[in-house]
Amino acid sequence: MLQKLEELKKEFRESVEGLTDKNSLAKFKSDYLGKKGKLNDILKGMRSATTDVKKSVGAAANEFKQEIQESLVKQLAKIEIDEINSQLKKSWQDVTLTDDVQVKGLQASGYHPVTLIQREIEDIFISMGFDILDGPHIEDDFHNFEALNIPATHPARDMQDTFWFTDMAHLLRTHTSCIQVRGMEAHEPPFKFVGPGKVFRCEATDASHEMAFHQLEGMMVGKDISVANLIYFMKTLLSEIFRKDVNVRLRPGFFPFVEPGFELDIECLICGGTGCKVCKQSGWVELLPCGMVHPNVLRAGGIDPEQWNGFAFGLGLDRLVMMRYHIDDIRHLHSGDLRFVEQFKAY
Amino acid sequence: MNISINWIKDYVDLPDDITLGELGTRFTLATCEVEGVETTGEHLKAVKIVEITEIEQHPDADRLNLVTFNTGEEQRRVVCGAPNVAVGKKVPFASIGTTLPGGFTLVPKKIRGIASEGMLCAEDELGLGEAHDGLLILDDDAQIGMSLADYLGTESDIVFEIDNKSITHRPDLWGHYGMAREFAAVFGRPLKDVFSKEWREGLKALYTDEEPPVTITVEEDSCCLGFTGISMENVTVKPSPQWMQDRLSTCGMRPINNIVDISNYVMLETGMPNHIYDRDTIKGGEIIVRRMGEDGVFVTLDEQERNMIATDTMVCDKERISGIGGIMGGLDSSIKDSTSRIFLESANWRDSEVRKTSVRLGLRTDASQRYEKSLDTNLLEQSLLRLVELLKESCPEAVVVGPMQKTAMQPTPELKITCSADRIARVLGETVAAERIVEILESLDFKVTVDGDVLIVDVPSYRATKDIEFEADIIEEIGRVIGYDNITPVSPINLAETTRLSDAKQMQRKIQDYMVFHARALEVMTYPMIGKKLLEQASWPIKNEKLTLVNALAPELSRMRPSMVPTLLEKAAQNQKNFNSFRFFEMGRSYESLEGQAYSKDRYQLGVVFFDKTGSPFLDLLNVMKPLMNFLNLKAQFEPANEKYPNPVMPAEWSGVHPHEYLNIKVMGKNCGIVNTVHPIITRQFKIKGNVAVAIFDITDFMDREIKDKTKYTALPKFPSSKFDCTVVADAQTPVSDILRVMNKLKVKEAEGVKILDVFKMSEEQKTVTIRTTFLDREKTLSPEVLREAEDKVVATLKKAGFPLKV
Ligand SMILES: [Zn+2]
Repeated sequence: MLQKLEELKKEFRESVEGLTDKNSLAKFKSDYLGKKGKLNDILKGMRSATTDVKKSVGAAANEFKQEIQESLVKQLAKIEIDEINSQLKKSWQDVTLTDDVQVKGLQASGYHPVTLIQREIEDIFISMGFDILDGPHIEDDFHNFEALNIPATHPARDMQDTFWFTDMAHLLRTHTSCIQVRGMEAHEPPFKFVGPGKVFRCEATDASHEMAFHQLEGMMVGKDISVANLIYFMKTLLSEIFRKDVNVRLRPGFFPFVEPGFELDIECLICGGTGCKVCKQSGWVELLPCGMVHPNVLRAGGIDPEQWNGFAFGLGLDRLVMMRYHIDDIRHLHSGDLRFVEQFKAY
Repeated sequence: MNISINWIKDYVDLPDDITLGELGTRFTLATCEVEGVETTGEHLKAVKIVEITEIEQHPDADRLNLVTFNTGEEQRRVVCGAPNVAVGKKVPFASIGTTLPGGFTLVPKKIRGIASEGMLCAEDELGLGEAHDGLLILDDDAQIGMSLADYLGTESDIVFEIDNKSITHRPDLWGHYGMAREFAAVFGRPLKDVFSKEWREGLKALYTDEEPPVTITVEEDSCCLGFTGISMENVTVKPSPQWMQDRLSTCGMRPINNIVDISNYVMLETGMPNHIYDRDTIKGGEIIVRRMGEDGVFVTLDEQERNMIATDTMVCDKERISGIGGIMGGLDSSIKDSTSRIFLESANWRDSEVRKTSVRLGLRTDASQRYEKSLDTNLLEQSLLRLVELLKESCPEAVVVGPMQKTAMQPTPELKITCSADRIARVLGETVAAERIVEILESLDFKVTVDGDVLIVDVPSYRATKDIEFEADIIEEIGRVIGYDNITPVSPINLAETTRLSDAKQMQRKIQDYMVFHARALEVMTYPMIGKKLLEQASWPIKNEKLTLVNALAPELSRMRPSMVPTLLEKAAQNQKNFNSFRFFEMGRSYESLEGQAYSKDRYQLGVVFFDKTGSPFLDLLNVMKPLMNFLNLKAQFEPANEKYPNPVMPAEWSGVHPHEYLNIKVMGKNCGIVNTVHPIITRQFKIKGNVAVAIFDITDFMDREIKDKTKYTALPKFPSSKFDCTVVADAQTPVSDILRVMNKLKVKEAEGVKILDVFKMSEEQKTVTIRTTFLDREKTLSPEVLREAEDKVVATLKKAGFPLKV
C-alpha cells in the first residue's frame, strides 16, 4: 500500500505543474482528494491492514494530503498571476520614453545663475542678522553721487561711466551704494543690511564687461565699529561663500565714500597662495572694495558721525557666478537665451 | 607709472635683507599697488661686442648670410638676415641663453639647416630704440668682448610698475621723491632732505639783479593757481648723460635732449610738471595767462589741431597762444637745437578745470594727469629751483637772468587735525602707542604737537590739497604703516535679534520658486533698456520718450522699457529657432515715467511667456497664474477686458490683445496684470511661427505689505454628501463660466459645490455640458425628498437660464 501511495505521489508531482487554468485545477483536486478520488481508492485497502501498517500508511497519507493541498494553493496563485500578467502584457508601455528624452516633453526649469548665487549670499547675510534692502534702478544725482561724497567736480564721476537721462539730473545707478543711502535714510542706527541688485555702467561690452551687472552692497553701523571688525567679518563671510577657510588681506584703496578705504584681496583659491596664472603669480586675487564709512556719507544719510560709525563693502556678483560655473562670456547673463539658462536647471 | 628703484635709492637706503618681491608686497599693502617688479638692462651685461670677420651666402636662402665673427676669445658663426652686415663692423652679439626684452630667451636652433650660435642684434631687439632696419653698428673703436652695458655706460635697474588707479588720490606719489618718502616711512629708514633750506639758498644765490626779460600776467578769472618763472641764458642743447637717459627710459619717456630731458626728469622727481620755452619765441617778452575768450583752434606740441572753447585757460604771449594751461605746450615755443635762451615755467592749475578740458579734448598728458590730482602751489618754487640746478649741472656756462618771478600764488591753506591715540585704537580695533603714532606721522612729514592725550597734527601742504581732510585720514596713515595685517580680527558685538527677508523679497522669491517648481519655466534676465524700433515692432503705444538716455550704447538700448512685453516677445522670437515649445519668466522691472519731482517709478513685475508651435498655451498659462495668487495668499480675480476699468500694465489701444484669450488680473480691487495670447497681428511682426501666451503681474503696489495667511479649518462633515449629475445643451461658444454663474445663484442651502464634469461638442453650433452638483447637510443625512426637490430646482434654474436638459 505504501508503494501505491508513493506511485500516486510521483504521478501527482509530475502532473500538477501542467495545470494552467482554474477549472482543470478544480477537477484535478477532486480527482485526488474527492470521495471517489485516487487517494481514497488506495486507502480503501486499509481496513484489512494491521495496526502498524494502518499507522504508517495513515501518517504517510495525511502527509501526502497536506502536500496536495499546499501544492494546489501554490499552483492556483501561479495561475492567477500568469493570467494578470498576460493582461498587463496587452497594456505594455515604453517606460524609457520619458520627458527628458523627447523633443515634445516638458522642458527643464530652473533659476537664473545670478539668482542662485544671489540667494545663497543673501541667506548667509540673513543668518548673520542682516536685512536685505532694495532700491530703484533710476536714481537721482543725490543718491548715486552727492550723498556718497562724490560732488560734481570729483574725478570719480568720470570713472563711473554713468548713463544719464535727458534731464541730466537722473541716471541709472552705477553702484548698489545708492541702496546704502536709502538704507540710512530709512533706518535708525545701529543697523546692518545688504543691498543686492542690478547696476549700470556706460562702457563697451565684451566677454568680460557688461553694461548691466550685479553688485551686493553691505553696511554695518554701530558704536565703535573698527577695522578689526571689518576684517573679521569679511573673513567669516568669504569662508562661508567659498565653503572653506580663506585668508584675506587689506591694502589701501581709494573710494570717495569710505575713509580709510581698502581693496580686499583673497588668497588665491586656485593655487593656495603659491602663485599661478589666475593670481598673476602674486598668490592674491583682488576681490572687493571696502572701508570705514566716510563721515560725510553718514551725515548725508542723517546719521551723526560723532556718535556712530561703521563699515561698508561692495561685492560683484557676476564674477562669483562666472567663477562658480566657469562661464566664459558675461554677456550670456542678460541674453535671454534658453539654451544658456537651461544648463542651470533645478530638476 | 614706473618707479626706478635706483632713483629711489638717491633719497633712501632700502633694506637689503628682503627680496624684491617682498619689497613690492609690503609697499602694496602700505601704500599703493605694485603690479609688477622688473629688472631692466640685465641683458645688456650679457650682450658682447664682436667684430665681423667673414660673410658667406646661406646655401639654401638668398636673403640669409652665414656671418662669422670674433668674440675676442673665439670665432663664432650665426645665420643672419640683416642687410647691413659688413666685414670689420663692430656689432652686439647675444649668445644662446640670453633673455632679451619681451621675455624672449635664445635657444640653439637651425635656420634652413644650418646651426646658428646666437643672434646679432638690432636696436629694437635690445630695447634701446625702435630701429629694426639692420644691426646696431657700434663705433669702430669699440672694444671687442666688452659688454654692451659697459660700452653704453648703462646701469641695470629695478622697476616697480605702479597701478595708476591706486594713486589717484595721492598727488604726492606722482614723483619719485614722494614715493621715496613712502619707502622711508614703510621701512623705517631716514629720508634724505634733498630740498633743504640750504639747498634753496644756494640756488637763489644764482639770481641776478637784472630786470626779468619776460613779464608774467595772470588774469584773475583763469584757472591758474600760481605761476613761477625764471630766465636762463647761454644753455647748450645736447644729449643728456646716459644715467639720466636710462632713468627716463625706465619711466617710459624717450630721451630727446638735455633741456627737454631735464624738464621731464624734474616732473618725474617732484611730481610737479613744468615747461621750458625757447625764450626767443615769446613774442613781446610777455606771458599772459587768460581764458580763451572765444572758440578757436590751437596746434599742440604733437602737431595736432585742438578745438578750444572760450572758457579754456591758455598760456599766451603778446601775439599768440603758446600752450593749454596744465595740459600741453605749443609747437612754436618748443626747444630747438639752436636754442640758447630759455624761460622756465612752473605753474599750478585748478584740478577740475584741467580735467574737464583734457577729457573734452581727449588729451591726457603726463602734466594733466598730475594736475587733475590737485597739486600743491607751495611746491612750485622748489621744482623751478631743481630745474635751474640740473641745467647748471648740464651747462655750467649757463646763467640765470634776474630773480624768480611769482605771480597769482594761491598757497594751499594750512590744515591742522586733532586726534588721539585712544580714538585711533577704537577705529582700528588695535592699540598703537602714542609715541609710535608720532613717529609714523613724522616719517610722513606731518608735524605733531602732543597736548596731553590730544595730538595736533599739522598736515604737509602737498597732502592737504584734497587727500587729507580729517581725522579718518590720519587714522588711515597709521593703519597702513603698521600694516592692516597686524590688526587682529575681532567679531563685532552682536545683539540677539531676529531677521527675516522683507515682505517684498519674500514675495519675489515665492514667485520665482513657483514659476520654477510649479510652472516648469526657466528664469531669464534681460536688459531693462529698450529701443524705439522694438517698441514700434511690438506696436506698443507708450514710448517712454522722457526716460531716454543721453549716452546710450546703442539705439536699441536707448530708453527704459515701459513694459516687459516687447522684450519678452523679442526673446520668444529668438528662442523659437531652438525649441518647439518653451516656458520662461523674468522677475524684472519696467519703468513708469511720471510728471514732476517723482520723475519715474520702477515697477516690479513678473513677466511670463508660454510658447507652442502648434496649440494655444493660453489655458496652460492661465492654469499657472490662477493658483499663483493662492500661493501668494492674494485674493485675485481674473476678468475679461472692460473699458471702464483700465489696466495700467496693458494700454487699451494695444493691438496685441487677443479677442477672447485675454484676462485682467485684479488684486485688491485694482488691475495689476494680464494673461493674454498675443494677437497674431503682432507675433507676425516678430516672425514668430506659433502661439505666444504672455502674462504680466505687477506686484509693486502690494509687495511691501504683510500678506496674512487667512486659511481657516472647517470641521469635516459627519454625514455623507450626495452628487447629482445633469447634462444640459448650450451654444458651442458659450463659456462654462456663464453656466456656473447661473448655478451660483441657485437657492438651495444644501448645495455645497458645482463643477463641470464633462463638455462634449455635438456640432459646430451646440455642445453638451455635464454639471455635477454636490449636496450636503452638516446636521443630518439628506432625505430622498429633500434631494429630489434640490435636483429639480437645479434643472429648473438651468432651463430658465436657457440651458435645457439634454434629452
Ligand atoms: Zn594663484
